[in-house]
Amino acid sequence: MDKFSVLLFSGLTNGSVYGLVGLSLSLIYGANRVINFAQGEFVMIGTMSAILFMATYNLPLPVALVLTLGVVLAMALALEFAVYLPLRKRDAPPLTIMIGTMAFAITTMGVALLIWGPNQLSVPNILPMEPMTVGPLITNWQQLAIISSFVAFLGLTWFILYRTSFGLAIRATGVDPKVALLMGIRSDRIVRFAFLFSATVSGLAGVLIGPLLGGQISIGLALTVKGFMAAILGGLGSPFAAAAGGLAIGVAEAMIAGYGNSLYAEPIIFLIILMVLFVRPYGLLGDFEAARR
Amino acid sequence: MRSLFRNGNLAIVLIVVVALILPALLSSGYQLRMVSIIWVFALLAMGFNLLYGITGQISMAQQAFFAIGAYGFAMLQAKLGWSPFVALPVAVVIVACVAAVIGLPLLRLRTHYLAMATLAFSLMMVGLTNRWVDFTGGSAGIQIRTITVGDWSMSRAELYYTLVIVAAIGLVIHNFIISGHLGRAMQAVRDDETGAESLGVNVTAVKLRVFVLAAVYAAVGGIGYGLISRQVNPSFGEFPVIVSLLTIAVVGGLGTRFGPVIGAIVVVLAPQALARFGEFETLIYGLCLGVFLIFLPNGLSGVMERLGARMLRPSSAPGRRSVTKNIVEGGAR
Repeated sequence: MDKFSVLLFSGLTNGSVYGLVGLSLSLIYGANRVINFAQGEFVMIGTMSAILFMATYNLPLPVALVLTLGVVLAMALALEFAVYLPLRKRDAPPLTIMIGTMAFAITTMGVALLIWGPNQLSVPNILPMEPMTVGPLITNWQQLAIISSFVAFLGLTWFILYRTSFGLAIRATGVDPKVALLMGIRSDRIVRFAFLFSATVSGLAGVLIGPLLGGQISIGLALTVKGFMAAILGGLGSPFAAAAGGLAIGVAEAMIAGYGNSLYAEPIIFLIILMVLFVRPYGLLGDFEAARR
Repeated sequence: MRSLFRNGNLAIVLIVVVALILPALLSSGYQLRMVSIIWVFALLAMGFNLLYGITGQISMAQQAFFAIGAYGFAMLQAKLGWSPFVALPVAVVIVACVAAVIGLPLLRLRTHYLAMATLAFSLMMVGLTNRWVDFTGGSAGIQIRTITVGDWSMSRAELYYTLVIVAAIGLVIHNFIISGHLGRAMQAVRDDETGAESLGVNVTAVKLRVFVLAAVYAAVGGIGYGLISRQVNPSFGEFPVIVSLLTIAVVGGLGTRFGPVIGAIVVVLAPQALARFGEFETLIYGLCLGVFLIFLPNGLSGVMERLGARMLRPSSAPGRRSVTKNIVEGGAR
């Protein structure tokens, strides 16, 4: 039971981060049919900015959080204005824009390399990491914070999408961008919101996961890939399916590593995803996307 | 057969002549290694160009086929003691079979789903090569001996010439396919799958053929790279390879005839120039990729075509035209 709860919580923690990246990807995809290959870099910049503001400059926590948020939001605007809008204006197909976001990811890593260097830095943890017991389960505050912020962001996304008129506009754009435009919805604003909201989600996820992953500029790519796999496994069409996919991957990874073979946990996960796609080409919960084709 | 010798083949002859003279102008073994790698990446990129540039199916498994080809070639020799001349075609056939087996179910997927499924496949393969130490040699990889027949063994220069010839044959096939019947069908699939199907194109067959063909190009490239490096290791299938490949496709020009070669030249040589910038290398690489995407969407070969067209016919510049659109417009007229 002890082993199980440790594995469960570490799986849920990683899964929450994968899920948040997946949710970010899915929100952007819903708005403009583009996969943002730089999404993991937002997590990386979140982590690294936390180091910069909290450890290097020793700023108080709220100030550091606001500054970190400012950095990722500026980055999101840079992505939109420097890569997305120019390519969209030239009628580039979505896959070309995806390669554009990949160029942005490489550029971001280049900038991060100049600022932080290639070595792993220790990340200050906001919350205590000592193990504690909640009933029969063993966890720590940092894990609980990540899992609860996952739930909070899921709730916030649900509220925006289903309880506000702006959310209705987002969903309308997701169903049919052209018709939404004819109905007077400004799709460029939807896209900007998607970029900014996703950057916030991923950046904060970065601040929280930093102490567990370690601060290194190369973590972004792995997170992008895991986030994708989450979104693909659940179904790209819905942010909630993507988030669920992330949770599933995180827990499965931890369980396979704990009870099966820790060496082969990652290849096995990719094999499972491949098998799922053979059977359900639009993801486990991707009926919405399949119906639209 | 006439189309084999039509437009552009003069350019191939020119490329081959320059490539064959090149070693005489180089001073060091390192430079010879660099120019050899150009042809390896050109082969890899030709397959990708057929698959993504012409048929519109993105695959992120090209580096996996690149690695499987090299591993197959190395292991057939090291484990079974086969001669390289047998191991080479068998390794290529193995890759073709693997591509057919995973391609058949995967090619039902479109765009991002296809990209991610193929990425999952290649990550799985890299994971296996890294972890299954007894079979693949782990991260140290496997040695590949130079090809030896009796007293003669292939020198680096001879390997280079072989690669040039293989790449030239690859380029001729690549261009022949693009201008032939299959090429038209591929472009029709890219522009509109339903439209292509209604015009009598067997979409699944076209996709699968191109997928396997692209894997074969990647495998041949991978074997070449293994021979140059004299070993194969998991880095053959890792992410930097697909990033280089995408960069070649974008810089050279997607869906063009000579894009893969031009792109490979730039992508192999540019880091040599960028190495001077030290830590700025990654940043400059990313910026250049972005600038190319935005301002030169047809890559360097698009620029060259436009310049060439302006010199020949001042009025009309040939662009990429949609085949189905042509047919539909023709029908409407």
